[in-house]
Amino acid sequence: MQLLKISQFLGHFHPVLVHLPIGILVLGGLFHLLSASNRYAFLYPAVRITYLLGAIGAIVSCISGYLLSQTSDYDAKLVGLHQWLGIGVAMVALLLYVLLTLRVNELLLRLLTVVVLISITITGHYGGSLTHGSDYLFTALTADVSSGVAIPPVANIQQAKAYPQLVEPLLKNRCYSCHGAEKQKGKLRLDSKDFMIKGGEGGPSLVEGKADESELIKRLLLPLDNDDHMPPKEKPQLSQEEIALLKWWVNQGADTHKTVMDLKPTPEMSAILPLFQSGAVKPKETKSSLLDKEVEAAATEALKKLKDAGVVVLPIHQTSNYLSVNFVTTDVTPALLDELKKLDKQLVYLELAYTSLNDEGMKTLSSLKNLLQLNLRGTAITDKGLAHLKDLKQLTLLNLVETKVSAQGIAQLKDFKNLKSIYLYKTGVDKQGLTSLKTVFPNSSLDTGGYRVPTLASDTTVVKVP
Amino acid sequence: MTREELNLRRLMKEANHTQLNAYTRRHFLKESAMGLGALAFGSLLGSCGSKPNEPKQIVFDPAHPLLPKSPPFLGKAKSVIYLHMAGAPSQLELFDYKPELEKMSGQDCPESLLKGKKFAFITGVPKMLGPQAKFAQHGQSRAWVSDNLPHFSTMVDEVTFLKAVTTDQFNHAPAQLLMHTGSARLGKPSMGSWVTYGLGTENQNLPGFVVLTSGGSFPDAGKSIWGSGFLPSVYQGVQCRSEGDPVLFIKDPNGMERDLRKATIDAINAANEQEYAYYNDPEILSRISQYEMAFRMQVAAPEVMNIDNEPQYIHDMYGTQPGKACFANNVLLARKLVEKGVRFVQLFDWGWDAHGDGPQNSLNIGLKNKCRSTDKPITALLLDLKQRGLLEDTLVVWGGEFGRTPMLENRNGVKSPYNGRDHHTEAFTMWMAGGGIKKGFTYGETDEIGYSAVSGKVEAFDIQATILNQLGFNHEKFTYDFQGRPFRLTDVFGKVIHDIIA
Repeated sequence: MQLLKISQFLGHFHPVLVHLPIGILVLGGLFHLLSASNRYAFLYPAVRITYLLGAIGAIVSCISGYLLSQTSDYDAKLVGLHQWLGIGVAMVALLLYVLLTLRVNELLLRLLTVVVLISITITGHYGGSLTHGSDYLFTALTADVSSGVAIPPVANIQQAKAYPQLVEPLLKNRCYSCHGAEKQKGKLRLDSKDFMIKGGEGGPSLVEGKADESELIKRLLLPLDNDDHMPPKEKPQLSQEEIALLKWWVNQGADTHKTVMDLKPTPEMSAILPLFQSGAVKPKETKSSLLDKEVEAAATEALKKLKDAGVVVLPIHQTSNYLSVNFVTTDVTPALLDELKKLDKQLVYLELAYTSLNDEGMKTLSSLKNLLQLNLRGTAITDKGLAHLKDLKQLTLLNLVETKVSAQGIAQLKDFKNLKSIYLYKTGVDKQGLTSLKTVFPNSSLDTGGYRVPTLASDTTVVKVP
Repeated sequence: MTREELNLRRLMKEANHTQLNAYTRRHFLKESAMGLGALAFGSLLGSCGSKPNEPKQIVFDPAHPLLPKSPPFLGKAKSVIYLHMAGAPSQLELFDYKPELEKMSGQDCPESLLKGKKFAFITGVPKMLGPQAKFAQHGQSRAWVSDNLPHFSTMVDEVTFLKAVTTDQFNHAPAQLLMHTGSARLGKPSMGSWVTYGLGTENQNLPGFVVLTSGGSFPDAGKSIWGSGFLPSVYQGVQCRSEGDPVLFIKDPNGMERDLRKATIDAINAANEQEYAYYNDPEILSRISQYEMAFRMQVAAPEVMNIDNEPQYIHDMYGTQPGKACFANNVLLARKLVEKGVRFVQLFDWGWDAHGDGPQNSLNIGLKNKCRSTDKPITALLLDLKQRGLLEDTLVVWGGEFGRTPMLENRNGVKSPYNGRDHHTEAFTMWMAGGGIKKGFTYGETDEIGYSAVSGKVEAFDIQATILNQLGFNHEKFTYDFQGRPFRLTDVFGKVIHDIIA
């Protein structure tokens, strides 16, 4: 076990080590060819030792490369080519060193030098293909990289074949480089449906008709920092629409021949499909959320003032500069609210529930542009106060429980695209107001509460012993 | 010893001494070179992997032990309400519907299910027992819930069911200890203690970890399941009552003014400070801060703990019985406490041990009554947390310490007139809601008679790991040094159940 680990460890040095012989041998070759001219004849004595060093480097690279090839699942054919070319380079370099010592025909030596230079280039190319995928070099020229679209626009989406025109290109651009013909990380290939059903080390990847049970889909949906999430954190991620496409395709039976129309798009899918037609589906930005962006630490003076007043001020987690502030046992004062303004960059969660905050105080909140969650439960604010929130466009959660706000007041926030939940229990929002708000915020959950649990006869009686 | 032997010994000793004399500093350095090099290399390698942003170890501040702290990672939940049905409710009469078991009802239990198994009371060959309740599918998630829980069945789209929870303890006390402290033996800190140790609590006027019990008796494992174990004692659960004073002796005695109380506490603290100056024991600082908190609590607690000032429709919703000690009152209290920033609220409701050895312990009478007294309050709790926006960051957990057998219990080989089931370790149901857990989801599956887990098998450690994860902890890195080594809530086990996280 230990031995295996050490060999693995050494194998991982291969990508570093290979650059030594490449550099040294190319330098040696250049010196050799240049020294043919009188101007650079003085380089000739250096050539022999350079080849020796290059040959040693090449041999070490070969050994580490062999160890690496044992630990990972690469395409055997490519590995074989790369391996034998690499060994060839090492041998020819060594031969050159020996022949230079023997002072044989100079023309032969130059010919061999050219051979080394050419074969080192080819070896390097195959090595690159192994790590980055065989189409890595030319993707920049062939694919539409400028827009970063994984699925090329499809002209007539309803008549398009779902697998070859949508699913396959997506998998190809996002998955094949590690799970394709050349490389099978985790022994998994995704480049045909049979391979997907066969799966990898973790069992089948695709269960026809059951996206919830398909590892292919499950892994996409795991949180980004989960080790099992796919694609890996540092690789381009799939967008919501692309995941929805895969999920739909799997749920409809993962057919590889049918057209989009035959697969019966769900209403959700029909809404997304035009995006694939126009190619408007952008890959997910890995640093899309505010909390992933760096921010400088907050002014310590403001923090101290708030803390001394009994306000709970905390970084949202140990290594973040973003802050959550909770007036749990302290009431707001104009002075404290002014201190909050100094935290405008860092403050993301703010709880002011059951404080004496009023519309006047809301003015100071207007500059807190990075707020994600705002809890105003049980405060005296009204629609007038809500108007001051119009610049807080990052808000995802707004709790207005037990306030006097009305539907009109909340509608002022209509262009808040990220607002996911609005809590409206015990507010001035009535049934009619709720219906109108639902059209203003089609993607948000609006909760006016007022739930009741009916009292059944069984709730107040007991089952008696017969 | 012969003279010869003695001489030989002396000779050896001398030779050894001479040899050691020849051993110089140069030798030492020469021989250490490899070792020192290896050490240096080790530290070099070590620095490769670690990130500069690695979360810090939690620092215990004895003077302010309960001050709120940031979690190591961004958690989805801020507080936890844990509803423990002590005695172990029968999954087969509540959530785990097994029509196949119905068909086998009354037949002898197949020997394959008994071979090599241990049961608390079953002896010989028991009969199988079909579900003692009617089941139906509910909500959009089509989850099976029995007619024992008519209210909760409307909430299935808010919760995640864990259908294949297992344990290795078939007696109440050890199983409860395992569930709450990560060890079936006494002495480990409870989950609530770990959480308040790691996160403190937002409201400095109230305890961070509150325990409420109902059902007429304490859970079998006693107060150890909310004890602080080897953690500083300030993190143990504070048991509050829903009848009379929330905390015993919280009121000042008649005739005692608040100022006088303050003066008393100041005097005690001054004396304690002198003690601290002399002994330097951090527990004394904790004691001082506890006195101060108790003084603040005298004002804050009666206000929060008094459910009388809740509106009538809330009382109707929960089905409370003001003035009495009951589960419904505790559940309403739990909501109020979480609303005021209490970190961990632990409820125990005793009386779920349906063996069938008496009417109150039977599936058809006792269990039904336990369901009636908890169904409405739990449903009300979920709805009430939801409408207040509290379900977003409050994790609600429901469960027992183990499950119950698909076999009819035949205690002492005698058939009881009441139906009951024995303790069962191999599969039972729990549920979680809120706090970033999936809605309307079921994880895990049992075989067709509900005897053992088929897929999605989880154990207490996995549930603990998941709860800690939702609060922003990596359960493997959340440790406390005791007796020379770091300890974890999940010992060396536990895997976060990622599949149930929204």
